Amino acid sequence: MSEHHLDMVRQVLDRQVVDVNHIYCGKVDNIVIDLEGKPRITGILIGNGPASDRLPEFARWLSRKLFGQRRTKIPWEEILVIKDVVKLASEAKTYGIDERQGWAFDLVSKFPGAWKK
Amino acid sequence: MKSFLEIFLGILTAMGGFVEIGELVFSVNAGVKFRYNLLWIEVLGTVGIIVFSEMSGRVAAVTGQPVFSLIRQRDGYGAGLLTLIAANAVSLLTCVAEIGGLALLLKLLFGGNYFVLAIIALVGLLAAVWFLSFQAIERIFGMLGLCLLVFVGAALYLGPSWSEAANGLIPNIPQVETKQDYWLYAYFAVALMSSIMLPYEVYFYASGAIEDGWNASMINANRMIILVGFPLGSLLAVALMFCGASYFNPQMVEPQLPGTAALAPAAAFGKWGLSLAIVGMFFAFGGAAIENALTGAYNLAQFLGWNWGKYRTPKDAPRFHLAWILMFVVAAVTVMTGVDPVEVVEYSIIFAVVILPLTYLPVLLAASDEDYMGPFKNGWLAAILGWAYFVLICIAALAAIPLLIITHGGKG
Repeated sequence: MSEHHLDMVRQVLDRQVVDVNHIYCGKVDNIVIDLEGKPRITGILIGNGPASDRLPEFARWLSRKLFGQRRTKIPWEEILVIKDVVKLASEAKTYGIDERQGWAFDLVSKFPGAWKK
Repeated sequence: MKSFLEIFLGILTAMGGFVEIGELVFSVNAGVKFRYNLLWIEVLGTVGIIVFSEMSGRVAAVTGQPVFSLIRQRDGYGAGLLTLIAANAVSLLTCVAEIGGLALLLKLLFGGNYFVLAIIALVGLLAAVWFLSFQAIERIFGMLGLCLLVFVGAALYLGPSWSEAANGLIPNIPQVETKQDYWLYAYFAVALMSSIMLPYEVYFYASGAIEDGWNASMINANRMIILVGFPLGSLLAVALMFCGASYFNPQMVEPQLPGTAALAPAAAFGKWGLSLAIVGMFFAFGGAAIENALTGAYNLAQFLGWNWGKYRTPKDAPRFHLAWILMFVVAAVTVMTGVDPVEVVEYSIIFAVVILPLTYLPVLLAASDEDYMGPFKNGWLAAILGWAYFVLICIAALAAIPLLIITHGGKG
């Protein structure tokens, strides 16, 4: 390739995020740009907070009431590969976005046979 | 290319899973009201579902990405969310209809309290999805759904009017008595088409392809399964219409409850015919309830980037597994409020056709996109058929609600 370029909207925003072990951990819900000094991209945001930022006002309010406004920032340096999916350098739990921590996991684990396929 | 056996099983599964409560209500009643005149709609709808299922299966096989993941990537969060809400609302409504149908069948078989039977149906469905693997669910419900073949036997035994049927294959407007009957004909045409092209089928098919671990080498197998399995499945729907036309129509019976349709095979083959029909319906409704609950969970998980799939243990995909459980529970509770399942079928079918363009357009666009699909993007045939059907479903979507009102929900 003669010129390296990345289309942030088509190739990064709304892509699947996976951790280093290919565990899914949400979508790229928004992109953080630092405008102080020279503008530069500093990371991606995951969670309903940044996702609902992109909705019209009433929908945003409703979405936050229903699903909260969690917001996790992943520094740009932590991104390993951008292809079909956006791959992070460490495990999901180091960023606090592992599904297997939290109430959904605790609830499902109580059901008989939750370990089997 | 997978083995012959797997393709064969795939075809049987596609065939057995084709008919659900929507066809059972609308195909039979279309036969009762308009005899063979609406046969062309069965053909039109079948070609439509073939076109869009082939696309979604191909997209899943080539990109490894399920449809809702692509919808979000292509259309962004806002538009994608709208599609998600519409698609899941229809899936939920369809799930309500199927569980209601199951409860009605159980009542027919064993009698008893409708509410208790709805709970039994719920527990059975939850247990089936929780404990069985994806492949086992697909095969068991698909194969046992094939008991509905008894309707094909009954249709032949009861002696359809082949000349009338042949005329019905050509798009036509019958001579009816009143203007209201023309509207009713149009209403049945739209509803029948919608019952065959319900959007969940396309989403489920694509997610199922990923559950089964398909890749680009499966494209031809995908075509074969769809091109053989769906037309065979639509034979069941056609048989239902034939039974309506040759058995119920002369007796002036309009089978409101889905179980009533089983009287046709009963008349043809006695007790055995009746039993096969009921078993077939049972697994057809159950299978469709499962597919709709899973589709709701697939869509949600794929849109939000959760771990998903029956191939992941509940511990590895807790939100996905909670999502389908929730779909079942909400659907069953809705059934228990005492809504009339047949009315829910009608509304789910009409609502489905209204959102059909919204759910099928992203599939069409993704399958035509060279960036995603490379050499496997839509060829000229898929492109022409895809856009022609898109125009058609847009017209059907615009007509659906007015027709529902004019005909008083198909009551004329």
